[in-house]
Amino acid sequence: MNSYVPILVLGALSLGFAVVSIGAGALTGPKRYNRAKLDAYECGIEPTPQPVGGGRFPVKYYLTAMLFIIFDIEIVFLYPWAVHFDALGIFGLVEMVLFIVTLLAAYAYVWRRGGLEWD
Amino acid sequence: MSLVQSIDYLAITPALVVAVVGIAVLVLDAFVTDRRRQLTGWISAVGLVVAAVTLLPLTDHPRGTFCVPGGGRGGLDLSSCSYVVDNLTLAFQVLVLVGALVVVLLSLDTVRDSHLPAGEYYFLLMMSVAGAVTMAASRDVITLVIALEVVSLPAFALVALPRYDGRASEAALKLFLVSVVSTAVMLFGLSLVYGVTGAVHLDRIATALSDPGARNAALVLGVALSIAGFAFKVAAVPFHFWAPDTYVGAPVPVAAYLSVVSKAAGFVGLALLVTQGFAPYADVWAPVVAVLAALTMTVGNLVALRQRHAVRLLAWSSIAQSGYILVPLGAAGKGDIDRVLPATVAYVLAYAVMNLGAFAVVTLVGRHRRANRLEDYRGLGRTEPLTAFALAFALACLAGLPPGLLGLFAKVVVFQAPVEQGTGWLAVVMAINVVIGLYYYLAWAATLYVSPGRDMAAQQARPPSYRISWSDGVAIGITLGAALWLSVVPRMVLEALG
Repeated sequence: MNSYVPILVLGALSLGFAVVSIGAGALTGPKRYNRAKLDAYECGIEPTPQPVGGGRFPVKYYLTAMLFIIFDIEIVFLYPWAVHFDALGIFGLVEMVLFIVTLLAAYAYVWRRGGLEWD
Repeated sequence: MSLVQSIDYLAITPALVVAVVGIAVLVLDAFVTDRRRQLTGWISAVGLVVAAVTLLPLTDHPRGTFCVPGGGRGGLDLSSCSYVVDNLTLAFQVLVLVGALVVVLLSLDTVRDSHLPAGEYYFLLMMSVAGAVTMAASRDVITLVIALEVVSLPAFALVALPRYDGRASEAALKLFLVSVVSTAVMLFGLSLVYGVTGAVHLDRIATALSDPGARNAALVLGVALSIAGFAFKVAAVPFHFWAPDTYVGAPVPVAAYLSVVSKAAGFVGLALLVTQGFAPYADVWAPVVAVLAALTMTVGNLVALRQRHAVRLLAWSSIAQSGYILVPLGAAGKGDIDRVLPATVAYVLAYAVMNLGAFAVVTLVGRHRRANRLEDYRGLGRTEPLTAFALAFALACLAGLPPGLLGLFAKVVVFQAPVEQGTGWLAVVMAINVVIGLYYYLAWAATLYVSPGRDMAAQQARPPSYRISWSDGVAIGITLGAALWLSVVPRMVLEALG
């Protein structure tokens, strides 16, 4: 049983931390509410008004964000490769081409499925 | 020093073939007309067969690639390679590829009839299979975690593909949340292990852990948390609650995939991690796994007793079967780890064959009876004798009762482990559970052969003569054939592991 002491200690610590931090806030914190405090927290700026029911925004933004990630990740890998191009040689070039071709497959899919058309 | 490492391309061909075919399917799907989309299923099936054929040249001797120069501290030939193909790897890769082939065959009609997007479906499936193939060959924790994620991530989308079915979205969300939490827990555990040992390769971790002076609290925590992460993946109690809802909400072939291929990948990862990486800490993890095993089979079997829905019953039954699979690992604490690993592997292989067999018939019946209740199987033995026999045989195997010798054999192998290693209580719990399991498996099998009732409701519930498409027929044939064959020569499973 002795070897499980650390696991029990971790469990007790995490439970204790949760109880203490929530409890301490509820018990000791001053409760002087005003309008600004009850608003949603948006990093200190005035919250953007939302339409009734939470509002909707076009799903197109989601596609744009996904496309951004495709190219973002590409750059993350391209940059170190470019810096070490000499050391990596032909092997690195082939690897990079394979990587970009794989990404292009995703890009071609998005293009054919109309992901690039805004309307 | 060259930054370029030499790669044994032959060793990684199976995983490459699956991945390339998957990407090809996605691109092809984007460029063909709607009518041709179903072709992607056939291409995936061919790709899986080709990948299975590329396993053949690998059988002569163990191979390792992506190795770290300098070798491990053990000084073995294959030490400190990230990707190793040995008998264990090959056994699981065959399981994964053949299992995936059966799933693809079952999917052909499902995808067409329920208007699922074909290209996306097979692309996601193939990507997940590529992860499962890699999983069996991974010998360092980073590759293990990446492979596990490659198995899981496409699975969320696969479950959610019936987009206008609320149950599918619920199922996908449950699977997603549980999987993400379990990965986080596992990564925390593995990072503790890495922090203390400074190694990611399983053999190096084992070497570092075997120093008795270095034993400390952080390592014990790391080992325990890593196991908790894998326990989620294999749906071990108390981390099992996602399984029944996810199986019911997903398309039935996807449920079959989750309960067989994806679960086998989880088990191979767990087995590799604990028996190779954490071997010196067996006295820490084995009792944990033993308790998990006992809880898993007991809860799984007791809840399965009350199920009236075929897929839900199979979900709880596969939770119970996970418990049996964990038994040998749980018995490893006092004894010889190398002897318990083959028992676990043998049971996973047998489980895959019999569970896929059951799912194949359930998929077929589900096409005609959406509700897929157990009453829908009443009298199936009269109208569809061969299909009913396939299901009855799979159920007999799962129960471990003759003529299902495959299941009986697998259970005996698993049962031996706790008896030999002196963990008697686990053997007793397992024996009781096998008896509980007999009831619901046999009750279902008996339903197939009772005559439909006389009253109106029962007459309407009479199973129609199904028109069995040949893809379904081949899928049922493969699983029934494998189950029959392995029942006749069960030693095949163990000998394959050498």
